[in-house]
Formats: sequence, structure tokens, C-alpha cells
Amino acid sequence: MSFLEIKKVGKSFGSQEIVKQLDIDLEAGKTLSILGKSGCGKTTMLKMIAGLESPDEGSIKLGGTIMNTVPPAKRGIVYLYQEDLLFPHLSVYENIAFGLRIQRKDKSYIDKEVRRMIAELQLEGHADKMPEAISGGQRQRVSFGRAIITNPSLLLLDEPFGSLDAGTRKDMQGLFTDLSATYKITSLFVTHDMKEAILMGDEIGLMREGRLKIYKSQQAFLADPDTGVANEIDFWGGLTSKKSE
Amino acid sequence: MVAQKRYHMRRPSFSIVMLAYGLWVLFPFLYLLVLSLSADWRFPDIVPNYIGFKNWATVLGGETGLAKSFFLSLFISVLVALSSTLCGFFLSRIVNYNKKKDLWTIISYFPYVLAPVVFGACLSYYFLRLGILGTTFGVILAQFFIAFPYAMIFFSPFWTEKTKDYENLVATLGGSLVQKFTKVLFPLSKNLLLICFFQTFLISWFEYGLSSIIGVGKVQTLTIQVFLFIKESNFYYGAMSCCLLMLPPVVFIYLNKRYVFNKIL
Repeated sequence: MSFLEIKKVGKSFGSQEIVKQLDIDLEAGKTLSILGKSGCGKTTMLKMIAGLESPDEGSIKLGGTIMNTVPPAKRGIVYLYQEDLLFPHLSVYENIAFGLRIQRKDKSYIDKEVRRMIAELQLEGHADKMPEAISGGQRQRVSFGRAIITNPSLLLLDEPFGSLDAGTRKDMQGLFTDLSATYKITSLFVTHDMKEAILMGDEIGLMREGRLKIYKSQQAFLADPDTGVANEIDFWGGLTSKKSE
Repeated sequence: MVAQKRYHMRRPSFSIVMLAYGLWVLFPFLYLLVLSLSADWRFPDIVPNYIGFKNWATVLGGETGLAKSFFLSLFISVLVALSSTLCGFFLSRIVNYNKKKDLWTIISYFPYVLAPVVFGACLSYYFLRLGILGTTFGVILAQFFIAFPYAMIFFSPFWTEKTKDYENLVATLGGSLVQKFTKVLFPLSKNLLLICFFQTFLISWFEYGLSSIIGVGKVQTLTIQVFLFIKESNFYYGAMSCCLLMLPPVVFIYLNKRYVFNKIL
């Protein structure tokens, strides 16, 4: 049973068709990683799902409810940008608590949840710091915590590790995998990094010129010559064999 | 060692330069203050025959109407600054997120194409028809027409793609439009709002041409009183009204330095 059902969604800006006939079926608790180059329509697709852009055609269903006319604040879908977008006037604690505060949750509940999340994100000792006083990786952790603590139905991640160095990126990939499993997060994970797409997704999508092709398994993705994985394997395999010669 | 010696050698001359600079900057203000406390200061006397608070007592006694003008100007300027800052903030958001942003920005510059007096003359016809010529409301509205586009232009750089991303983030986290403003946009733009309030206050506070045309002598703002004293060659009252005119800017410069600039830097 699909939790996220997107049927024939399309979007144009003027005469330019950005997203064409988008179809997605994703089960609850799964991650669909979407691979695509810059300008292929990934961000527009995510914005339509989040309600920040309206589709020209098609339907978006989440948990059986049609979302097309539901405003972003009522969808329960959180959109995470490449930039962490921490609020510079709030401490780490208050940034994580932000979503719960605007939902007017009980103070003791907020405190309990935020402290739990801080521990989960390994940010103990940083709660009272302001965003400019922590590292890039820590900022991205806070950004994740701020989103996940609101218990969203769907998490949309738009190249969230794009600005991080290789080491921090690897740590964050591990953290996201753990959090996804703990909180049973359903998510769309957009990236332009093939390895990251394979590592993060239960299913993998390839987006080209506004069209999304979804592979239900890693094997199917690897087997398709269009994905370019075979070329990558040949390249690295070639290097290894040259070295051994 | 040599450098240290040179530094010590430079110090007296440096102090003299700084003292001269300080005096040069402060002299007009000190002179105005002395003049406002003086009476019967005629050539060739080096010092005035009277120094005291007689002029100020007259003002506070309300004989000249200066106190009334001071509070009227304060009322007008606070209202103009408040309304233009808030309207400028909200409307610049709409304009900057609009596809025709550039066209609207050019239109915002339009009131500055005309000199305030000419602009006032153009407005006076419509204000006469509306029955607000020569009223305090008319002067406030006319000054708003000058200060509001300034605020619009002032806030333009704030509404970037990043600000829009912040807004979208708050929305997807479940925030309403009111929460967007109260929890994120106002705190992010707090310093800009304060600076814009100060600037638009000063635009209104020092406004003369437009106020005199729209006020038609019935709305006696402080700048109009200053010019009246100057025309009458009443130096002492003129100096005193200038001191009053300087008071709010001095307070604002202090507040700016204390609460805004230090935080930006």
C-alpha cells in the first residue's frame, strides 16, 4: 500500500515544461533517493510536493488524502534545503524546539523532546550555543533535528549534504540512515551524487529533463545502462586492474 | 625601540590635531547652545551681556509656541516613521517577490524625481479637493508620500531568495503567516527596522518645503518655526529652536550606536 502516491503531475514555467508526467508510489518508512543533474526539475518537483509550488496537472496523495489544495503548513511535509537555514537569532536548543513551539506544544513536552533529540544528534554541550558558533556538520544535524522532532509525514531533502566536506558528509549519511530507521521516516532524498543515491535510497529514481524513472531495487538501477553506473564500475575496475598489472 | 620613540614623539601633535578636529566638529553645536542661552549680545562685545535660561524659560512657558511646535513635530515624525517603516516593510516584501519587481522599484523612486516643494505643489491641489490642506493629517500624509518609498527601497535587499527559503521552511514546519513574521522575519530584520524608523523619522523631522506648502501656515512644525525666527532675525530663539531640532537626532544617534551599530559590527 503506497503512502505517497503521485500521479501524472506536471509543471511548466511559461513555455518551458519543467516536470513531465511525474509518477511516484512510495511505501511508508521508505526512502526514495532521486539522482539528477542541476536544472533537471528536482527542486520544482519537491516544491510541488511540499505545496510551495502548485502543479499544473495531476494529483498528489499522502496517506490517502489528496494534497493538491492543502496549504504547506497543514501537509505535515517538511522541506529541507541544501543550506541548513538555522535561525541566526535562536540558540541550537531553540532552533530544534522551533517546530514544536509554533505548534504550541506543552512546555515540558518540548523540553523532554528537544533534550532527547539533542542527545540523539550527539549535540550535548552545544544546546545553548548560537548557530554561528558550531561547525557545518553540527548545523546540518540541528537542521535535521528541527525537522524530525515535528514528526513529519514526509521529509523532503534537497541535496542536504551538498555543502559538506567528504568526511562530514559520510557521517551525516550514517546519521540520516539511523534516524530514518528510528523514527520510521518516509522521505525523498534528492542528490546529484550517484554513490549517495545508492547508499541512501530503498528505491532509486533518475530524473532527466523533467522525467523521473524509478528503480524499485538497487539491482535494477545498477543493471540499467542509462544510469551510468556500469561506466563508473568500468572506470574504477579499469584503474584497479591497471594498478595490479 | 626606535619605532616606540617615534610613536612617543608623534603623540603631542596627534593630540593637537584630534583636539582641533573635535572643536571643529563640536563648535557649531556649542555655539548654538551658547547663543540659545544668550541675550543682548551686540557688536563689539566679546561675550553676551546675559547668559542664562531666560530664553528656555520663555519657551517652556509656551509664549513662543516653540514647545507646542516641538511636540507637534515629534507627533508627526513618529507617526510618519512608524507608518512608513511598517508599510515599507510589508509592501517591499510583496514587490520583491513579484515578477515585475524591477518596474515597481523604479516607481518607488518617482517621488524623488521632483523637488519636495514641487511635489508639495502638485499634491496641494488634490489635498485642497480632499479638504486636508492646512491640516496636521495632510502634512502627515504628504510626508508619508516621501518617507514610504524610501522605506520600500531600504528594505529591498532584505527580501532575498534566502529570506524566501526561511519563509517556506517555517510554512512546512507548520507555521502560519503571523508566525512567519513574529517568530522569524521581525527578529531577522530587527536592526533594519530600527534603522529605517530612525531614517524616516529624520526625513520627516527635517522636512520643511513640503510641510510649509501643505500646512499653509496652519501647521507650525519645528522647522517652520526655525525659519520664522531666522526670517525675523531672532538669533536667540532661532538658536534655541535649532537646539530643540537637534535633540531627537542626537538621541537617535546615541540609540543607534548603543543598540544597533555595535550589534551589526
